[in-house]
Amino acid sequence: MLFDDTQHLTVSEVNEQVRTLLEESFAEVCVLGEVSNFKSHSSGHWYFTLKDANSQLRSVCFRSDARRVGFDLEDGMQVLARGRLTVYEAYGQYQLVVSAIEEWGAGQLEAAFRALKERLEKDGLFDASHKRELPAYPFKIAVVTSPTGAAVRDIVSTLRRRWPAVDIVLCPVRVQGDQAAPEIVRALESLRDVAGIDLIIVGRGGGSLEDLWAFNQEIVARAIFDCPAPVISAVGHETDFTIADFVADARAATPTMAGEMAVPAADEVRAALQQTMGRLTHFVSSTLELHQRRLHALLASYALGRVRGRIENYMQAHDFAMENLKRRIGDVIRKRRGSVDEIVARLQGMDVKTILKRGYTLCSDARSGAMIRKVADAVRAGNLQVTFHDGHVLAEVKEKIHERKER
Amino acid sequence: MSEKKDNFEQSMKRLEKIVEELDKGDFSLEDSLQKFEEGLKLGKTCREMLDKAESRVRKLVENEEGSLCEEETDEF
Repeated sequence: MLFDDTQHLTVSEVNEQVRTLLEESFAEVCVLGEVSNFKSHSSGHWYFTLKDANSQLRSVCFRSDARRVGFDLEDGMQVLARGRLTVYEAYGQYQLVVSAIEEWGAGQLEAAFRALKERLEKDGLFDASHKRELPAYPFKIAVVTSPTGAAVRDIVSTLRRRWPAVDIVLCPVRVQGDQAAPEIVRALESLRDVAGIDLIIVGRGGGSLEDLWAFNQEIVARAIFDCPAPVISAVGHETDFTIADFVADARAATPTMAGEMAVPAADEVRAALQQTMGRLTHFVSSTLELHQRRLHALLASYALGRVRGRIENYMQAHDFAMENLKRRIGDVIRKRRGSVDEIVARLQGMDVKTILKRGYTLCSDARSGAMIRKVADAVRAGNLQVTFHDGHVLAEVKEKIHERKER
Repeated sequence: MSEKKDNFEQSMKRLEKIVEELDKGDFSLEDSLQKFEEGLKLGKTCREMLDKAESRVRKLVENEEGSLCEEETDEF
């Protein structure tokens, strides 16, 4: 037997003994702290946590006491709470039962927040001139947030639903607790080595001021500022801004809104594209029409009409001239042809045979063949050749008879 | 910047510019047709980029050497 079972206590006994110890030792304490997680229950009791930079103390203020507090508690309020410590045995949790509360100026976290905000503002981290424009059509988006929880699902599903072409790179980090800020910083820095990131979303779901505290830290603010790609901060808190919100290029109130802000809706882009293409087609067909109309107008224009009229005149004149020319050449040819006919006829008239046919004969020297034109020639020749149209005969000169010259 | 983004954005911008230019008008027929043809090509490219692309989700994880790498995940 490892233990002596006669000495064991029940859980209830432990809690009861602790409660007795606590109640005796801390019958009346006064605690300075910042209110967070404040809830006013319908029963009228107040439940909240008192905290400072390092530690938290569960607190309750019952209705009868709460009524006497002259103001409404709020998260972030720095208060002095008077009461006693006790143990809520059902949960084994110890708590401060508050009987009276006093406000203690502005909360320290708030003060730290304001101081940091002021300093970073002075350093120019919030300047509009440093804000980068979000890309119109991001195709690769990094999401720096907790890998579990609603925020990452909201962001991823919104991105994919609206813009199915998007590639998402998840950078899992803690978003709460001491390690949250350094992890966020490391993730943002490591994204420098990831090629082609168009946009970064960094954030988490809603929570109390201390839950969101990582996003109010200087190292996170500076890491966001130094990011090469535009950053959307999506710290789910509708009303309160974090330092990250101020330094980021854009701020989304919720993770879903970050998704909507990050990407266009593909349907809308398609519709716009369709419309642009429609305009393009319209312009070209109207340009064609315009040019066609211009062409028609030109063809019908007075100037061109005049030119055409002149051309037509020339053409007509040309036709007339040609007609004239042809006619005149015809005349010339006809005339020429007439004279040629005459000459031919005359030549034909001069043909010896035609003459011989008429009854004339041709007389030549039978030996030399020379033409005999005179009586004397005939006497000298003695022998003659007399040619008829159908042949010739040889003849001899018998007597010379001179024709008497008539006066 | 991803190449896809640059291509898409530039194509969209160029397309819009072409339409704007045509809107102002007074191009020669040849220029108009040339721009029209270019516009058609750009529009087709953009549409294809939207239609073909399919979203991927990857996780940035630390490997054994302590450097970060991307890992395909189908958690979403």
